[in-house]
Amino acid sequence: MLFFSFYKSLVGKEITVELKNDLSITGLLQSVDQFLNIKLKDIKVNEEDKYPYMISVKNCFIRGSVVRYVHLPAEDVDVETLQDHSRLEAREQKKQNKQHQEQKSSTATTATTSTTV
Amino acid sequence: MTTSNTSNNSNAQFNFFKMCIGRPVVVKLNNGVEYRGILEVVDGNMNIVMEQTEEYLNGQLKTKYGDCFLRGNNVLYISAQPRK
Amino acid sequence: MDKREEGSVEEPLDLIRLSLDERIFVKMRQDRELRGKLHAYDQHLNMILSDVEETIKVVEKDEETDEEIIRNIKRNIKMLFVRGDGVILISPPLRTS
Repeated sequence: MLFFSFYKSLVGKEITVELKNDLSITGLLQSVDQFLNIKLKDIKVNEEDKYPYMISVKNCFIRGSVVRYVHLPAEDVDVETLQDHSRLEAREQKKQNKQHQEQKSSTATTATTSTTV
Repeated sequence: MTTSNTSNNSNAQFNFFKMCIGRPVVVKLNNGVEYRGILEVVDGNMNIVMEQTEEYLNGQLKTKYGDCFLRGNNVLYISAQPRK
Repeated sequence: MDKREEGSVEEPLDLIRLSLDERIFVKMRQDRELRGKLHAYDQHLNMILSDVEETIKVVEKDEETDEEIIRNIKRNIKMLFVRGDGVILISPPLRTS
């Protein structure tokens, strides 16, 4: 959720998305979803001569899973807030994991140890 | 013994990890790289933290790390080593 | 706040949490390495790093001698989001415990 909220705060800003197949696309962030799929508008491919078929593409949807990096506008990133949110989310995650564990162990009353030293 | 019970399995896994903590282990990754060091902690995703880690490629020492975190999806196996 | 939660490594991701605001080393797939200051992460190891130096190792083959030449390509990026699925290893600076 941390990065989803973070990207929502960057809507309208220019970012460069670098894909796992080395294609780099610069454009304005239009929208983002929970999978970090990204919609860009007014796009430009960084090595246009290498990918001539991309010249006429103006808008695109990028599946989150094919992204390697996103180059961000440093002036629009508040690192203090990000760090605080990361710590908060880590704590939340831990709590959830513990609850999950407790549920599991309470249902598994017959679980016996089967390892031998 | 039936092993279809997942909680039974994860328990065995957990006990193995607990047994290895603080001991020298070898972790091999899918890409063939091997890490030798002291196992500090593991989670259910097989994410691993080791200390005094040495990175080996084809049996040759490549790099050393103080603490190192290995992302679980890359782990092929964790092997317990006898104490030196 | 729980003191134990703050300083010790109970689970692997705690090591990453303790590296927030520190420079870390990240080994990625496809022979890429990153060095940068960690500002955000989540359970997938998605991360935001600043003042990043990326090193890409490229192996080229000399056509005549068949020799393999390893070339390191470096570039610097001010602020970078890294998708977690490409991460292999993270190493923080030496911890004073």
